[in-house]
Amino acid sequence: MAGMKTATGDYIDSSWELRVFVGEEDPEAESVTLRVTGESHIGGVLLKIVEEINRKQDWSDHAIWWEQKRRWLLQTHWTLDKYGILADARLFFGPQHRPVILRLPNRRALRLHASFSKPLFQTVAAICRLLSIRHPEELSLLRAPEKKEKKKKEKGLEEEVFDLTKVVLAGGVAPTLFRGMPAHFSDSEQTEACYRMLSRPQPPPDPLLLQRLPRPSSLSDKTQLHGRWLDSSRCLMQQGISAGDTLWLRFKYYSFFDLDPKADPVRLTQLYEQARWDLLLEEIDCTEEEMMVFAALQYHINKLSQSGEVGELPSADQGLDDLDAALSNLEVKLEGSAPTDVLDSLTTIPELKDYLRIFRPRKLTLKGYRQHWVVFKETTLSYYKSQDEAPGDPIQQLNLKGCEVVPDVNVSGQKFCIKLLVPSPEGMSEIYLRCQDEQQYAHWMAGCRLASKGRTMADSSYASEVQAILAFLSLQRAGGGGSGNQPQGSDASAEGLNPYGLVAPRFQRKFKAKQLTPRILEAHQNVAQLSLTEALLRFIQAWQSLPDFGISYVLVRFKGSRRDEILGIANNRLIRIDLAVGDVVKTWRFSNMRQWNVNWDIQQVAIEFDEHINVAFSCVSASCRIVHEYIGGYIFLSTRERARGEELDEDLFLQLTGGHEAF
Amino acid sequence: MGESNDDIDQMFSTLLGEMDLLTQSLGVDTLPPPDPKPPTAEFNYSVGFKDLNESLNALEDQDLDALMADLVADISEAEQRTIQAQKESSQRHQDSAAAEVSNYSGAASLGYGANVAATGFSQYEDNLPPPSADPVLDLPPPPPPPEPLSQEEREAQAKADKIKLALEKLKEAKVKKLVVKVHMNDNSTKSLMVDERQLARDVLDNLFEKTHCDCNVDWCLYEIYPELQIERLFEDHENVVEVLSDWTRDTENKVLFLEKEEKYAVFKNPQNFYLDNKGKKESKDSNDKMNAKNKESLLEESFCGTSIIVPELEGALYLKEDGKKSWKRRYFLLRASGIYYVPKGKTKTSRDLACFIQFENVNIYYGIHCKMKYKAPTDYCFVLKHPQIQKESQYIKYLCCDDARTLNQWVMGIRIAKYGKTLYDNYQRAVARAGLASRWTNLGTVNPATPDQPSTVPSGLKTGTAQPNGQIPQSAPSVKIVLEEAQRNVETTK
Repeated sequence: MAGMKTATGDYIDSSWELRVFVGEEDPEAESVTLRVTGESHIGGVLLKIVEEINRKQDWSDHAIWWEQKRRWLLQTHWTLDKYGILADARLFFGPQHRPVILRLPNRRALRLHASFSKPLFQTVAAICRLLSIRHPEELSLLRAPEKKEKKKKEKGLEEEVFDLTKVVLAGGVAPTLFRGMPAHFSDSEQTEACYRMLSRPQPPPDPLLLQRLPRPSSLSDKTQLHGRWLDSSRCLMQQGISAGDTLWLRFKYYSFFDLDPKADPVRLTQLYEQARWDLLLEEIDCTEEEMMVFAALQYHINKLSQSGEVGELPSADQGLDDLDAALSNLEVKLEGSAPTDVLDSLTTIPELKDYLRIFRPRKLTLKGYRQHWVVFKETTLSYYKSQDEAPGDPIQQLNLKGCEVVPDVNVSGQKFCIKLLVPSPEGMSEIYLRCQDEQQYAHWMAGCRLASKGRTMADSSYASEVQAILAFLSLQRAGGGGSGNQPQGSDASAEGLNPYGLVAPRFQRKFKAKQLTPRILEAHQNVAQLSLTEALLRFIQAWQSLPDFGISYVLVRFKGSRRDEILGIANNRLIRIDLAVGDVVKTWRFSNMRQWNVNWDIQQVAIEFDEHINVAFSCVSASCRIVHEYIGGYIFLSTRERARGEELDEDLFLQLTGGHEAF
Repeated sequence: MGESNDDIDQMFSTLLGEMDLLTQSLGVDTLPPPDPKPPTAEFNYSVGFKDLNESLNALEDQDLDALMADLVADISEAEQRTIQAQKESSQRHQDSAAAEVSNYSGAASLGYGANVAATGFSQYEDNLPPPSADPVLDLPPPPPPPEPLSQEEREAQAKADKIKLALEKLKEAKVKKLVVKVHMNDNSTKSLMVDERQLARDVLDNLFEKTHCDCNVDWCLYEIYPELQIERLFEDHENVVEVLSDWTRDTENKVLFLEKEEKYAVFKNPQNFYLDNKGKKESKDSNDKMNAKNKESLLEESFCGTSIIVPELEGALYLKEDGKKSWKRRYFLLRASGIYYVPKGKTKTSRDLACFIQFENVNIYYGIHCKMKYKAPTDYCFVLKHPQIQKESQYIKYLCCDDARTLNQWVMGIRIAKYGKTLYDNYQRAVARAGLASRWTNLGTVNPATPDQPSTVPSGLKTGTAQPNGQIPQSAPSVKIVLEEAQRNVETTK
């Protein structure tokens, strides 16, 4: 019917011409012109467009985007009238899935296709499914910060961008595992490399880079990040994202549900990476002692992931270890003769004997290190004047169980000291052992460490402990040795790695590398036996234990107040923080919350708590939509239950977080 | 059946009575390590306790030797019978569970059987399996082999089992045992044998059996150091022998068995520790009214996440300066990683804090009468020291709070930071134990004529209000549940 003309060229029906551009939002794009009526269905229009283009191609992903109204025309059974489309509408016929560059929590870049037409919540869920991250509701996307002029052209080095655009994910059930990775990653070498990038911790960053990256210097700086979150209820297209843009994928809500090392290798790794970068870039503050533990864990994690050891260590407890060793020992015995000396074989414990120099710090002592014959057996250290006197009574005997072991090492200065703080009923006695070389030091040090935990050198971990110490010494030689007061940057990473890559830049200023290494080494002794996943978990737990963990800061102005303040949003509470001092003024818990409302006209959030406590504020650093979504998101996350598994109640989420702004 | 149980009970109490006598006649509170320096050698008591006797300072003559040998023989016999009884009772229970046991004596004896199972079973596990010809039976149930093994494999298996058994025996032979004199509320004492594998929880359970107290969660083992004037409670998961081994030979230290409501105060009223707004009035009022549901969610949030949350705690405390009698006021903060203070002229942001102490190597104690002894500003003191230190030393840290509330918050906060989730696990076990005990007594008091009527709410719910996971079923306790719970207890205590 449509398109019937009179002799003069006028149309006799009510049809009119509709121009549709083909491709993404590009005014230069080719266009097709169709004859349509108000009753035409979108589905029919789509069909006509494809006919008109007359090209063999898979058009199934294409849909029409209405530029002026910033909406997709996805209801194929709706008519043009129902959508309100007239001839002046600027319509684009383009793909719904477009490539974006995703910057992951580990700071690596990844190109993939993301839906530009679905609400962001679904887009993120699809991305997470592709990356095999469970519980996508905890993550969201941020706009990349605006680049300041490209003055860093000198950087030059091409960054590797992983590509997942060709990967197609079968719908439906959870992806199956193939060769230790989700099947869709095992297609090609590139995708396998990509999975390794996702599931393995990255090496420490270059300390110089770390110093260059922007760090928040105040609480209000920390609010900047949160202004960039995208809206979960709207699609990427509506939020002005175009194909090829860079977006950040981050864990947004600090409430990690059912974290399971077995099911979540990627999630666990990315969480670790986000935590690590948070600490390195001082997004979250910690004390010096805590930083050393974090550094030690990073070192340990890096070492394990470099050595390719992904699987679990045989995590039998120490008691069983001994038993197993003894068992094989005993077995040999039983094969042979009668087991008369079984007890002996069980109780033979390797011992260390050597001449060491010993120093006992006391008040008003002038004595220095003295040579002694030292015997280290089980967990007990005895020393004698000389080897000849060894059968007799020792000068002193110390049980190292429960003692503190502190290394005092300077490789370039050839100083290998072990400081022991040994508890006894009378108090602590201090004693320093000085070793001749690295080998001797490593063996005695490892023995001391085990003894302080009540274990002997028969323990299966002894050899690995010795190796760990030697490795760390070589690290010190490579890292902070020599004259360098300045960090050596990437040059130093040849042998070990630079300890400056493991700590926040403020510690780079505070410590020389050779001071830092022993501190990290000291902290390392408590984590040296962890497997990779245990270490990752430990890192995340220590991060979660920080008092400031999981607080997202927003600059707000409370109703009736004349100055800006900080609102901290955590998974269980809202915190009002003084902007200048950083003190907590007031805390409100979500469990006491009755309701919250947003007045979109005046951009004000109003919250009512139990006992008629009302709070209202307007948002300064981020739109109040972001605050609203944070609160709703945390409420949503608290409704999750183990029983429901991974099912997502998307409607509830959108109901809790969705804005009331007109689409 | 009931009779045999009674017999065993009788036997145990006489045995213990005899042991009481024994130790009293020796006049020692504990059997202290003969010498702290060579720690293992002299602790290795053989299965037959021969060495134990030797270690009774060679004061004893042949008579004592004989007596002890008898004792041991009796104990193991009794244990065998307990195991037997337990097996029978569970057998019987299975037979009769469907028929809803209502008979008074039957129910009581069954409940008792369950209790015996709880303790007897663990003893059974701990103790030497009889050296019978068929060792496989005596081992903890081996997983059924997935496929039929070949002859060789089976032989190898049998051999491995035998070796394992032999090793277990060897280990058993080295088990350290102490006779501990525990001081009760009423100034009486009880002596019990504690072996080195027993945790404070096991010892408490043991004491519950002996004292017939109400078994509520506040009962604890408590160590006091008269010389240092400090004291603390044993955490339920602590190894008792290990702690006592640190005592010196001539010590005046004592172990007490008493109720301390501080023990699990945080789980009963978490809001006092987690929601305390630094003494602001408004919060205090509303806190007292916190309902059970909110408490539950607060506990869930603090203890059930990927990592536990340590209460935010900060404030000015007095610190006794090392080796001096003066006290200095400093601003301290508690973090999961330790106690920190704000150095002079610095702010309390994380980056400025200086570490005061970390918790790995110290225990926390209450200081008693510090005002008098150390001229402390108040009597609300807590003390941090390495467990092995027994005499006054500059390595013992004394801190003093302004009031009792603050003191309790700090002590509890430090315990949470030090022990983490274990504390919560301990509490839940204690609640389960308390619930079990109260239900058992309830079973005894239920009118035998109306067994189907749900009994009145078990008194276990008194503590159950603070019980977070609602593990205590609201319905009338059935024998089956009691028994199952006992069994579970056994499993978890292992």
